[in-house]
Amino acid sequence: MNLQWGYKRAFLRCALLFVVGAVLQLVFGDFDNSFLRYPWGLILAINYLYLLLLVYVQGAKWKWLQQLSDSYAMVSSLTSMLLLTIIFGFTRQDPSTEGVIGALGFSRMTSSWIFIIIFFYFLTTLGVTVMRDLHHWRHMRVATLLSHVVVFIALASSMFGSADKLRVMVNMQLDRMTYMAQTHDGEDYELPFALTLKEFKMEEYPAKLYVLDTKTESSSEQFLLAEYEGAEAEVNGWQLKVKQSIDMAVRMPQSEEFMEVHHVGAVPAVKVEARNTRTDEKREGWVSCGSHIFEPAYLWLDERYAVAMPRREAKRYLSRIEIMDEKGEQWREDVEVNKPARVGSWRIYQVGYDTQRGRWSSSSVVECVKDGWWPVVRVALWMILVTAVVMFLTAGGRHFGPKKQKGA
Amino acid sequence: MSWDNLLIFAVAATLCWLVGAVMAMRGKAVVPTASVSAIGSVIFFAFIVGMWISLERPPLRTMGETRLWYSFFLSLAGIAVYLRWRYRWILSFSTLMSVVFISINLLRPEIHSKSLMPALQSPWFVPHVIVYMFAYAMMGAVTLFALYLWLRPSHKEPSAEEMGVCDNLVRIGWAFLTLGMVMGALWAKQAWGDYWTWDPKETWAAATWLGYLLYLHLRKISKDHNVLFALLIFAFLMLQMCWWGINYLPSAQGVSVHVY
Repeated sequence: MNLQWGYKRAFLRCALLFVVGAVLQLVFGDFDNSFLRYPWGLILAINYLYLLLLVYVQGAKWKWLQQLSDSYAMVSSLTSMLLLTIIFGFTRQDPSTEGVIGALGFSRMTSSWIFIIIFFYFLTTLGVTVMRDLHHWRHMRVATLLSHVVVFIALASSMFGSADKLRVMVNMQLDRMTYMAQTHDGEDYELPFALTLKEFKMEEYPAKLYVLDTKTESSSEQFLLAEYEGAEAEVNGWQLKVKQSIDMAVRMPQSEEFMEVHHVGAVPAVKVEARNTRTDEKREGWVSCGSHIFEPAYLWLDERYAVAMPRREAKRYLSRIEIMDEKGEQWREDVEVNKPARVGSWRIYQVGYDTQRGRWSSSSVVECVKDGWWPVVRVALWMILVTAVVMFLTAGGRHFGPKKQKGA
Repeated sequence: MSWDNLLIFAVAATLCWLVGAVMAMRGKAVVPTASVSAIGSVIFFAFIVGMWISLERPPLRTMGETRLWYSFFLSLAGIAVYLRWRYRWILSFSTLMSVVFISINLLRPEIHSKSLMPALQSPWFVPHVIVYMFAYAMMGAVTLFALYLWLRPSHKEPSAEEMGVCDNLVRIGWAFLTLGMVMGALWAKQAWGDYWTWDPKETWAAATWLGYLLYLHLRKISKDHNVLFALLIFAFLMLQMCWWGINYLPSAQGVSVHVY
């Protein structure tokens, strides 16, 4: 009987919080987290920790406070979080407010009052549990204690630090210094440092040659990877063979031939021999994907089919940038995908380039990101990694089903 | 090594796994049984290594490539559970599951390309995906076990020891889900500037993680096996949604950056 009431009470609490969240959403619209901007996020986080401690200590006197962190509260808050996350997964996230889903804020889930309140309740039950775990740490499984603590730190710091994340885009032009960026809402933002694009470099994968059906405008599934001279493959009934391959070439005027030329706009070109595997017919000619200056070149196999080369895929691309900080200090950094540069608490990420010009791009787009809470989150994430390893190593030990005790 | 060689390796590996499964069912000695199964896994791993070498990149990019690892880890999980708890049926289950995923790969051959987009060129790529595949394999094993306990013809109540196996498999699987998720977060910060952006893949990974976490907490207070087994199966469905379901989910079309 106790067991059932425990569940009912805990789930009723969640339902009540859901209703409160829905009412707040309908009355006030989306949740605005700007009040958490530094230093208020930090001040509130410290007060929140103190409140959690107070709740835990006072829990001995007040039963309802104790119920905030019992097993039923954990199960009900976890279930609520799970249900909301599933709704999150099924709902397309866009700014629309149409229909019930939109009105409840589910299409902008992270700004929905319901999500924020249920998340906060989940965090609070976890927080009070952490206080209890720390108090009775001698009796706890190491993996359980650690996982409660580190998940709490990660979630709490991501919540209280959510308003301190800043992401702005900078479109850099070659040799032109800029310190103006655009926020994702399109507003201008002045950076505390200036950036100059000194060089843009790009490496590409070898060209792929497909057989193009010009009637249906579709290309073959198979392709020939023009990795080296002599490479061959059968594509749609044609045996294709690379006779010659030039990385930077230009087609000579009034000629079918490509010559090696190192110049802006130069194109990759491959001389292909194609043999029809059924009729033994042969074709030979140059194929190129073209560039922003030169037209692509095709090898026509008959009136309908042609060998074509799509633009080569980027292997890696980097921007060599010169950074000048507020003190006037200057230095150079290479920014590449997966290898951001750091300027104080900012990180600079390679995002894009002029895809029309490809490797000849004279502009590069970078994103500058500032997240004052990242050091805390990073430590928490690494601690979670360690905890997961501890959990794996200690799994398989004690049996941990329901305890055989009074009322259970 | 090319995808065309999969059939030969798959047949050789499956034969070993089948022999191991039959030996286990007949109660043969543990070490020879596990060894025969392990030879199957080694043969299958040889194919993965061969693909790795010939593609000049880790074979972890496409769905078919992740299925290779899934089959491999399932076989390993089966052997590990067999060695640890001596369940005679587990090798049959893990073999069946591995063969299902190999068959999907044989029926849906993919065109493999050597290209690896810049975002995937990170030291996190290999551990992130492998750890996830191992977690998925563990969760696959526990789902099969839960189904067996739930639906077995004898309708016997699961014993404390049997539930203990479920708990341990979930704990190991959840630990690996956590590793995969956190590695993904650290990588995302490095590649995209934020550790969590509620991308559809991330949202469903969180739902899966919460589902198994709920099982671990519910286990402490609930004695109702029906609820527990239903939750395990439901969590596994969410895992499928995270792994490949989002490719077909209307709400995730065109918005996920996890598209390779």
